[in-house]
Amino acid sequence: MAQALTRGSTREEPLVIATVPSATLLGAEGRPVSIEVHVSNGLPGFTVVGLPDAACRESRDRVRAALLSSSLPWPLKRVTVNLAPSGVRKGGPGLDLPIAVALLVAAGELPATCADAMAFLGELGLDGSLRAVPGTVPMVAAMAAKTVVVPSGSGREAAVVGRHEVRCAATLRELVDALKGDEPWPDPPPPQASPPGGLSAPLDLADVRGQPVGRTAVEVCAAGGHHLLLCGPPGAGKTMLARRLPGLLPALSDDLALEATTVHSAAGVPLPADGLVRQPPFRAPHHGASAVALIGGGSAWMRPGEISLAHGGVLFLDELGEFPGAVLDSLRQPLEEGVVRLSRARGSVTLPARFLLVAATNPCPCGRGGGEGQCRCGPAARSRYRRRISAPLLDRFDLRVVVSRPDSATLVGGEPGEPSAAVARRVAEARQRAAERGVRCNADLPAGKLDEVAPLAPAALKLLEYKLRAGTLSGRGLHRVRRVARTLADLAGEGSVVGEEHVCLALGLRGDAGIDEAVA
Amino acid sequence: MSDLPPEAFAAALAALPGVGPARLAQLLADTDAESAWRRVAAERRPRPGDEVVAAGWAALGAAGVGVSVLGMPGYPPALVDDHEAPAVLFSKGGMAAIEGRRVAIVGTRNCTRYGRDVAFELGRDLAANGVRVVSGLALGVDGAAHSGALAAAAKGGGPPVAVVGSGLDVVYPRRHAALWRQVAEAGVLLSEAPLGAAPEAWRFPVRNRILAALAEVVVVVESPHAGGSRYTVDAAMARDRPVLAVPGPVRSPTSDLPNALLSEGCHPARDALDVLVALDLAPSAPSTSQTDRRPPPDATGSAVLDALGWQPASFEHVVVATGRAPGEVGLALAHLERDGWVVGSGGWWERVAPA
Repeated sequence: MAQALTRGSTREEPLVIATVPSATLLGAEGRPVSIEVHVSNGLPGFTVVGLPDAACRESRDRVRAALLSSSLPWPLKRVTVNLAPSGVRKGGPGLDLPIAVALLVAAGELPATCADAMAFLGELGLDGSLRAVPGTVPMVAAMAAKTVVVPSGSGREAAVVGRHEVRCAATLRELVDALKGDEPWPDPPPPQASPPGGLSAPLDLADVRGQPVGRTAVEVCAAGGHHLLLCGPPGAGKTMLARRLPGLLPALSDDLALEATTVHSAAGVPLPADGLVRQPPFRAPHHGASAVALIGGGSAWMRPGEISLAHGGVLFLDELGEFPGAVLDSLRQPLEEGVVRLSRARGSVTLPARFLLVAATNPCPCGRGGGEGQCRCGPAARSRYRRRISAPLLDRFDLRVVVSRPDSATLVGGEPGEPSAAVARRVAEARQRAAERGVRCNADLPAGKLDEVAPLAPAALKLLEYKLRAGTLSGRGLHRVRRVARTLADLAGEGSVVGEEHVCLALGLRGDAGIDEAVA
Repeated sequence: MSDLPPEAFAAALAALPGVGPARLAQLLADTDAESAWRRVAAERRPRPGDEVVAAGWAALGAAGVGVSVLGMPGYPPALVDDHEAPAVLFSKGGMAAIEGRRVAIVGTRNCTRYGRDVAFELGRDLAANGVRVVSGLALGVDGAAHSGALAAAAKGGGPPVAVVGSGLDVVYPRRHAALWRQVAEAGVLLSEAPLGAAPEAWRFPVRNRILAALAEVVVVVESPHAGGSRYTVDAAMARDRPVLAVPGPVRSPTSDLPNALLSEGCHPARDALDVLVALDLAPSAPSTSQTDRRPPPDATGSAVLDALGWQPASFEHVVVATGRAPGEVGLALAHLERDGWVVGSGGWWERVAPA
């Protein structure tokens, strides 16, 4: 809402204040900000107050150049810009446009009421062009105004929120003409093809030859939301399997899609053509990633990390053992809660982070792997390698499978595997059954509810009792096996009782992947 | 002259930096320990005095470590005539444990379950027949052999003898701390390294010659071709000690050395009886083998057992090898484990021999 107050005063010139609403970004949340511009007599100057960061302070030079390039006057007066509330830190260049508009209103260049009920967001180029800024979705969502004005490049993003009338302009001149009523508002840009580097078509599971256990594990992982650890020598197809996982997951629901879109927008990741992130994201950070890159934070406005970008989709950590231990352990709380809470001295934000964790690792430093005594690495080297992944993190993986290189006959002449579409259908049905139990997926089943929703057949019960007595299964492991067995029974389309074969397969898929310390 | 025994001077000499087993043997070859100490100490700056010897002697006493010097009473007769006999031998436990028939059981640290089981059984059955099991207390085969020997020693079997590479107060590997203590209590721990000596890599091949010298028969359970056991085998052959080898799968890298030894003409050690024959002993303890009482596996179970072979295999390997559905294989493995045909540990499945 823009308003200009002109009060009669004892001085010769009127004292003028203009206010324009906008928003700034913290984490993946927009915070409403109101831009107040005060133009008065005095030594010509331009001051920005109200905790601007460097990019925000520099807007003075961009705004001045943009005004002059657009043949608009720069007031030779004392200009003070206040970003209210002044206690909240503001970051980013998105406040250029609202500052320029407020300045033009305060300087009398625009009529005082032309920008009523409008909020503005955008970066200015020196030539007067308007540029898109990251975080448009959450910032627009935070705006209360009826109409939002954004750069043409942000039009699609701003429309995702769906609560506002979205106006776009490509240049400051266009915008000023439209505000004055000299010209009509420019048309919003037509939807364009997906930007390069964005999400591509999912890969098909039919490309995977052989790998019966790996395929089963990926299917169970998708159906039950069980985290998956793939262990195998280089070239076994671990990455190939993991990359096909998003194609098995159902499309994101409306709420989840909006959350994912918000996070993508806040991080400045290109959005798909229709604006909303509908396809489950797949994020595969390199093992050189820092804790901040993975978890989020870092800059003043706390950029979402990889785990938030993977919200609703898959976070794939290749070479798990090469990630620094502290970085991996920082994943434990988000894995448990589905959100990540970032706290800094200046404030704290909560970012969504409900993702499916898929990790791949070599079995030992030489990569050859095998049981005890089958590779060239000594027991000390093997146990050092295994200790890189802490036991509590390892415990989060319900599925730990060994995959090995398929033989050449399977690779060259083998039948193509079952296509993703068929597997995805089973996954969707299994997820539907889980939803009927009131949970998102079987991995979320509370332990106390297992007896009710996953009762065991007598033979299965006997087998698990034997395992517990023999000490090869822990109490916590028992619950995890039962959840995976529940998913397996769901995938097989079987009724309420979980049979022995499902428990056995769950145990097979929970093999410790040669990762646990072998007891000598 | 002082009132310290010659052993104290020998021990102090062994603990001097720069004095290894070979130099020590050279120093003590033609003179007594005290004069050797005085000659070496005189060359050192600052010159170590008798108080160093006394402190070292007191520390040995406090740690309960005995010292035997070659050529003096108390030195184990089994080693006296050896051409590479250690000049000074530190011991913890009863030296009497060495007296008797001795068999060394050696092998790799990185062994398979098969190797561990065979080493355990050999150790147990040999000790039950009164044989002293000599080994190095390392991870893998060594530790398994001693665990077996201890199990039998508790029932009146032969006491275990361990020759280690580090000082007797430096437990290495630390995972064997309990085993280390039990061997010292039931039998004897030997080392030529002074107190506080770290388990440096060079000490282990040197230690292996003592193993070979002590043993009347050396049994190689599992070892890759270039493993540390090779040193023990070479040292044993140089002393004309019989070397027996435990046959293993021809494709298992850990059975490379024993299989190569067999092809060179060594006798196989299939069980304790083979070793007892090599010692010219008749078995006194009853053989532990008996008929297989396990319920026979069904068709899928047999296929899974065939696919497993005798080497550890992952679940995936069995599924691929049998060509059956993962669920079916999981069920079969669970039943086989219940019936005692296989064991699963750390994601690896292995067949087990009849008890």
